[in-house]
Amino acid sequence: MTTMSTTTPATTPAAPAPAPSATGRARRGLPPGLWQAAGPAAVFVVLFAVTAALQPAILSGVGPINLTTQATAVLLVALGQAAVLHVGSIDLSNAAAAVLGAMVLALALGPLAAAAPLVTLLVMALVGAVNGLLVAFTQVPSFALTLGTLGVLQAASLVVSDNTTVYASANGEVVSWLFIQAFAGLPVAFWFAVVVAVLFWLVLRRTSLGQALTAVGLNETAAVFSGLRTRWLKVAAFSFSGVMAGAAGICIISQAGAASSFGLGSDLLLPGIAAALIGGTAITGGRTNPVGVVFGALTVALIPITATALGVTPQARSLVYGVVVIAAVALTASRARGAVVK
Amino acid sequence: MSAPEVVRVSAPTPPSSPAPSVTTPPALSLTGVTKSFGPVHALRGVSLQLGRGEVLGLIGENGAGKSTLLKVLSGVHEPDSGALEVNGKPVRLRSPEDAARAGVGIVHQEQSLLTNLSVAENIAMTSGSRAKAATRFGVYRWGHLNRVAAQVLARIGVDVDPRTTVGDLSFVDRQMVEIARALQVDTGAHASPVLILDEPTSLLERDETAVLEREIRSLREIGSVVFVSHRLDEVMRICDRVVVMRHGEVVGDRRTSEVTEDELFRLMVGRDSRATPRERRSREDGGTAVLQVEGLTRGHAFRDVSFSVPAGTTTAIVGTNGSGREEVVRAVFGAEPFSSGALRVAGKDVGSWSVASAVRAGVAYIPSERRVEGMVGGLSAAENLVLTHPGEATRGPLLRPRARRKVAETWFEDLDVRPRQPDLALERFSGGNQQKVVLAKWLSSPDLKVLVLDHPLRGLDPGASETVNAQIRAACARGTAVVLLPDTLEEALELGDEIIVMRDGEVTARFDTSRETPTALDLLEKMV
Amino acid sequence: MTGLTTVTDVLTPAPPTTGARRVRRGHGRLRSSGEVIALLVLLLVFTLLNPGTFATLTNARTVLDQAALPLVVGVGATLVILMGSIDLSVEGVMGAAGMTFVLLSANSRGGESHGALALVAALAVGLLIGLLTALIHTRLRVPTFIASLGVWYIGLGVATLLYGTEGIPNFSDPATANWASRLLLGLPHSFWLAAAVVVLGLLVGRYTRLGRSAYALGADERIARDNGVRAARTKVLVFVVAGGCSALAGVLASLQLGAGSVTLGAGTLFLTIAAVVIGGTSLGGGRGGVARTALGVLLLTVLNNGLILSGVSPNIQSAVSGAVLIGAIVAAAWPHRSRLRVVK
Repeated sequence: MTTMSTTTPATTPAAPAPAPSATGRARRGLPPGLWQAAGPAAVFVVLFAVTAALQPAILSGVGPINLTTQATAVLLVALGQAAVLHVGSIDLSNAAAAVLGAMVLALALGPLAAAAPLVTLLVMALVGAVNGLLVAFTQVPSFALTLGTLGVLQAASLVVSDNTTVYASANGEVVSWLFIQAFAGLPVAFWFAVVVAVLFWLVLRRTSLGQALTAVGLNETAAVFSGLRTRWLKVAAFSFSGVMAGAAGICIISQAGAASSFGLGSDLLLPGIAAALIGGTAITGGRTNPVGVVFGALTVALIPITATALGVTPQARSLVYGVVVIAAVALTASRARGAVVK
Repeated sequence: MSAPEVVRVSAPTPPSSPAPSVTTPPALSLTGVTKSFGPVHALRGVSLQLGRGEVLGLIGENGAGKSTLLKVLSGVHEPDSGALEVNGKPVRLRSPEDAARAGVGIVHQEQSLLTNLSVAENIAMTSGSRAKAATRFGVYRWGHLNRVAAQVLARIGVDVDPRTTVGDLSFVDRQMVEIARALQVDTGAHASPVLILDEPTSLLERDETAVLEREIRSLREIGSVVFVSHRLDEVMRICDRVVVMRHGEVVGDRRTSEVTEDELFRLMVGRDSRATPRERRSREDGGTAVLQVEGLTRGHAFRDVSFSVPAGTTTAIVGTNGSGREEVVRAVFGAEPFSSGALRVAGKDVGSWSVASAVRAGVAYIPSERRVEGMVGGLSAAENLVLTHPGEATRGPLLRPRARRKVAETWFEDLDVRPRQPDLALERFSGGNQQKVVLAKWLSSPDLKVLVLDHPLRGLDPGASETVNAQIRAACARGTAVVLLPDTLEEALELGDEIIVMRDGEVTARFDTSRETPTALDLLEKMV
Repeated sequence: MTGLTTVTDVLTPAPPTTGARRVRRGHGRLRSSGEVIALLVLLLVFTLLNPGTFATLTNARTVLDQAALPLVVGVGATLVILMGSIDLSVEGVMGAAGMTFVLLSANSRGGESHGALALVAALAVGLLIGLLTALIHTRLRVPTFIASLGVWYIGLGVATLLYGTEGIPNFSDPATANWASRLLLGLPHSFWLAAAVVVLGLLVGRYTRLGRSAYALGADERIARDNGVRAARTKVLVFVVAGGCSALAGVLASLQLGAGSVTLGAGTLFLTIAAVVIGGTSLGGGRGGVARTALGVLLLTVLNNGLILSGVSPNIQSAVSGAVLIGAIVAAAWPHRSRLRVVK
């Protein structure tokens, strides 16, 4: 990675952000533009090649399907997390929101049938909006607030499910096709998530909303002084995170047909953050490449497979995610001398 | 206390004084100290001496070089040339620790106490403090700590319980704790420490300063004091002698008993510039006021401030630090609240006032903290330019990068922004070019009514200043109402159709320059 | 880079008005007395709601036993939060240390008892993990919330690896298995352990340079550094202490459970952070203390216990902590709201 930082210019089509001429840009550990453009894909490709060399089976048959199936829910929450990180905050409640979303869907499928997924997304958007409103208008640190909402959402799941498993007993076919149907050999759900990533990319790079979100993340004070409605922009980012958690909830029901408080999806928090960070999202805000996050999610899904191929027990997965998150932040952190980091 | 011994060496305008008689060396002596920052000469051969047991006042307008001189004395900056002597010994001060070791203590304008800890702890923390001995193996011996602190406080006669939490102290007491702390610099080695007080009264109410004044005067029994202030009456009361700085030089050195406030004003201002009588739009027939401010008030920050700015005119507000003028213009822009009073833009009363509503009403603001408040450094110059008023650069919610580039290129040409690369991140332009882009961001508004400029020329090179000034005049000529916080009084006299003087949060004078031609001295008298 | 937790006040430091100066006096005392009153009110209300079940010696023992875990963790968390940092790794450290302890004690997997070595090893795991968090923060300049978030999962990973694939390891020595709930002077061992840790924490906070430096750093890191506080050293030591507290809590949790479990810390993080904040220690750092946290823990434990006795589903326990946490941080931040305040 260090060699990349000194040589290759930013070249992928995924980076229309101005590629500035090379004068004194050595303030960060890694140039963020460059990492954003090529890094996530490169990491995935290298890791995939290593895994394939050790275990050729993942190239054929169900290998790619398994990988993308694993990656879909991670990708969805990671996109939401990236949006929140983009405005300089963090959402620690999104995994709990995904589980609650899955339960809401499981309960709503019976009475509402095809409208149930939509209702789920709406409910979760509201949950995200509440997070955003509290962060923006009461000016509390987002990590502490979302830690609180994490507790409330977990309890909500326990109450809704009465601490057991909630089954989507009727109309399961409304969502189950997402992982059954395939397009180009990969599940439709994964392609949906990729489309969301591309749309998110377009919003960030091609709309004034995206430009305003970027301004908030890079310099919130200046954004306020430019007359931007920074608070509502934060609410928008958190709401998007809620919607994405809801979408991840839909994936859970589609895959498993049931949801429980400590079941599928309850451990999405760190993989989601890891995917967003590997995808080139800066923890300081304002630098996000949603297309990179796709590769971030694929990498996160690949890590346990690679670990197995290397002979490491997949039980070490969370250990690896922890290391990855720290490494991703450490590599891109600014080393400004004397700055106060808390 | 014996009369302070006054020794002067090569002050540019030496007053008639007896020849230096050196019996004991002066507490502090500077000879030919210069310091430049790039092209800016902050200090040009400053020489001055501080006698033992003397209180020396240091005055000068903003930018006269006072703060650079203080930084040299406290070891923050090393001078380019010149010599420093403390108690007759040549010293090199390369860090604040060096200064402390040499026996020079400084009390900064901003407080440097930890408000959640006790007075004794704050005193114990200073490096070189005897109170350090109050911890053994990392364990505090509170009794010992409090006793040592009480001694330090008693030395300057402060009646404060060392166990009090600093946050619970009054401001005067906090200042006294700061002074006590600064004075304990290596007292063992230096029987007569030098204490530098940087505007210690600027945050105090007038009645509180009397207490502090008494305390400072009594300090001459322990050491020598350099007292920096912008309140002339205070300097006259407290100090034995006053040194006046202007443009990085010492232009006057007087005993307070032999000088009048008027003379000091004149020394501070230098050549007394006067508002140039020129053809101006009369304020009466200049149409309706675009901006009307009536009785604007917020606690102690500003009280009952009123003014109105007709279309096509400039109102300059002058005042020292703490005069409240910054807070007033930020309230006008909606960036800070006000508790009572009224604001009208283009005749319309503003309801709930915020930055967003100010911008929509056609108010623009160029902040003095450009990098923090004025621009999003990580976005390109072109993106910054269209951030507030996108105009051509968007269609509906969509951005049009090509149109944006075109808009930016036109502005770059008009304002001569270099390099001509609108897609470059704004943080990588020079200060002057950044300011041009920030200005263009607001000038590109189709509906600009009020332009609020908070030190628009601060830190700009002459070329950029010229361009920015020309653009401000052009905007004014197009009918924009301009509110200007100028860097210098000359700037106010040159540009202001009305000049408002503020002191301690209140308007103390206003001059309509179409009818009268005030001088810088007239303004200064109302400021300090 | 400033961390996400950094709060930037962009307003120029305005002179505090006379009024503000007066209000601050005695503020601290007022707030903690508020918590004491709240605790007394809770005790009274639950006694009235649950005659014969709440105000009993058995229930008091239960409450104190339940309070032990968050008390032990809370001491470390308070010191960290006083610095203006945060330690999210609690549950990971508990898992790793608890698992170490169980596997080195006589257990159902046939492990031999290593006696006191088990305890020493478990604590060492915690100290090391704390050291890791601190070094990631101070050397790599990663904000503590993200460093400790990563370390949280590293701890869980270590616990999972230790656990391996065999069955659940139960303590086989009954004297160990019921140590926590056995009584000493009428109160459970677990409480005495927690009380000892709290007293030690109080002493550290009040009488040591480490504790006072933590307060100084939390008030204003720049001023503290200018005043000669050794920031990096203090941070490392405080995180190591916090790691030790979490490890001890992990040991205690496994004793209470009678077995090893990777997730035996689940829920402790909120409860502790909520208790610290409701106690009145500010997340921004510099104000508060261990005694306040102890009060906060008791308040939350009594609340949870009383609600369950009153027939409220235990499922909402984490909601109570979460809601209390949200309420406390919002209440603490409310007076400081301003148009230009940037909080991330």
